[in-house]
Amino acid sequence: MEVDRADGRNPNQLRPLACSCSILHRAHGSASWSQGFRFIQTSHFYHFNLFVFTSKCYFCYWVGSGDTKVLAAVYGPKAGTKKNENPEKASIEVIWKPRTGQIGKPEKEYEIILKRTLQSICILTINPNTTTSVIIQVVHDDGALLPCAINAACAALVDAGIPMKHLAVAICCCSAESGYCILDPTKLEEQKMKGFAYLVFPNSILSVLPEGSSLVQGEPMEHGIITSVTHGAMSVDDYFHCLERGRAASAKLSDFLRRSLQSKLPGDLSKAE
Amino acid sequence: MDTRLANTWRLTVNEKRFIETALSSGIRIDGRNPFEYRKLSIKFGREDGSSEVQLGQTHIMGFVTGQLVQPYRDRPNEGTLSIFTEFSPMADPSFETGRPSESAVELGRIVDRGLRESRAVDTESLCVLAGKLVWAIRIDLHILDNGGNLVDAANIAALASLLTFRRPECSLGGEDDLEVIVHPPEEREPLPLIIHHLPIAVTFGFFSSESLLVIDPTHHEEAVMVGKMTATLNANGDVCAIQKPGGEGVLQSVIMQCLRLASRMASDITKKIKDAVETYNTERALRKIKRHPTSITLDGSVNLKEKLNEPSGHNVVNELSRKHLEKPRLASAENASSPGNNGEGESKSSNFGRSSRRDGATSNFVGGAASW
Repeated sequence: MEVDRADGRNPNQLRPLACSCSILHRAHGSASWSQGFRFIQTSHFYHFNLFVFTSKCYFCYWVGSGDTKVLAAVYGPKAGTKKNENPEKASIEVIWKPRTGQIGKPEKEYEIILKRTLQSICILTINPNTTTSVIIQVVHDDGALLPCAINAACAALVDAGIPMKHLAVAICCCSAESGYCILDPTKLEEQKMKGFAYLVFPNSILSVLPEGSSLVQGEPMEHGIITSVTHGAMSVDDYFHCLERGRAASAKLSDFLRRSLQSKLPGDLSKAE
Repeated sequence: MDTRLANTWRLTVNEKRFIETALSSGIRIDGRNPFEYRKLSIKFGREDGSSEVQLGQTHIMGFVTGQLVQPYRDRPNEGTLSIFTEFSPMADPSFETGRPSESAVELGRIVDRGLRESRAVDTESLCVLAGKLVWAIRIDLHILDNGGNLVDAANIAALASLLTFRRPECSLGGEDDLEVIVHPPEEREPLPLIIHHLPIAVTFGFFSSESLLVIDPTHHEEAVMVGKMTATLNANGDVCAIQKPGGEGVLQSVIMQCLRLASRMASDITKKIKDAVETYNTERALRKIKRHPTSITLDGSVNLKEKLNEPSGHNVVNELSRKHLEKPRLASAENASSPGNNGEGESKSSNFGRSSRRDGATSNFVGGAASW
């Protein structure tokens, strides 16, 4: 039941991830997140299989495999809230900038989804009557744009030092006609598939879950879903299938996010001007 | 109202005085000479016509796209060029979304005048069918980080992306030769734009004491300076545009000095842009040779014959790649035999956490690609 993917990945394989923080100087926090390769340099990388410690070397001449790259910047907390926001809590403002063209309804929708997702992970009671602005700039879009943006926004919030309960990791799963589930599709794959879902899971604050860790009604916290946006039609079973796959892959993403944020220098220069 | 005041950034009086006093002894706060540019780096994205320019701390991205439209009535043989500048709130806390501010409009106009009115881009070659269809080239400039001197950096970004932009080739066909066929890039190689010369903008800042003048002001210096002038010149010594929007009056001799300096800077920057574009073009050509849709099959085996051998030090890699022709077969056999992996994907996670530092404040973490 192998599904042919144009770039030779197998269905559970994510594109290579890259995350860098503190790339902008004026912004209080900034991060760029990219899934996939940039074709400027030819490069090879080593891939370690989880079960068998072998290294495979791929030349990255993925044909037509693009990269989705998003830049996120955070300013905040700034004084004051907007008129229709609750002044008893901190509020989050999201501005989404597409690559080219005017800002239209799809951009507004992304802003709303991102805002609600970030509101659920930030601790809003700490700085009441303030606004934290998150600005997203799309550098390149090749599938799974919203998950990429959510991941970038989380990294940027950490870079800015905004208090949060836990992080979120986002992933895109799509389901093919055959009922098979594919992770991290490219734009072409998204268009061809029957339906796809953007899923956001909470990132565990512990790297190794102790036995009998905090269970909420019999399920560990990590099994919760913060956000789910679906496009297209898929059966209920397909959706649950996607959820499972997504959850498993989110563990990898969590790991990657944790490592990339830990390697940042402590005691960074203060950016408050 | 109060909150807006609270959120703006303003330079303190002490900082202002410090900058001015230092300048009067010829010292700039970032250690440059008064007539020295900051470090310029020009990078290109994967697609044709996208560039990323960093001038010191100023960071700007440019994207060029093209569309077929109807021409203007009074110019039926010419294509159009339009420039859109986005002062993203990412760049500066005082930038807001919505209506472009004065400085955004000014920047757009300066870049526009330099490119369009000096006829740097050949618009007649953009005509496909006179009076019916022409190419409309659209340049989007996104300001990501305002470290000062946005005009110069934006100009360089616009030029770099125009030089690397490729438009699809069109031909006339059908009955009467009136149907326009746009060839996709896989069919026919897309064409570059015809650019006659490169107009480079050079910005000068004037300060309250006479004859104090700096090139490429940072945003601290911009908050202190009392007047500025942008001169757009090309490497041939032609003055394409000069913009001095009010501010303190300066002597004629100072203006002439500025123009002489600007022409020197312009030839430097032109060379840098051309070098960067050359490198990009060679890489692009290399990439085209290797791009074959049939060479990567499902089991991961790669047609080695089509690869151009990378020079030096990749022999080890070549051997490993031969070994890997067998390994994926084993691996896929493994995967097939253990379907109860619980959906554990082979997501690429790098064990080479390479952190590199830029200006001591950036940290880079790449998962997957070991780049050198």
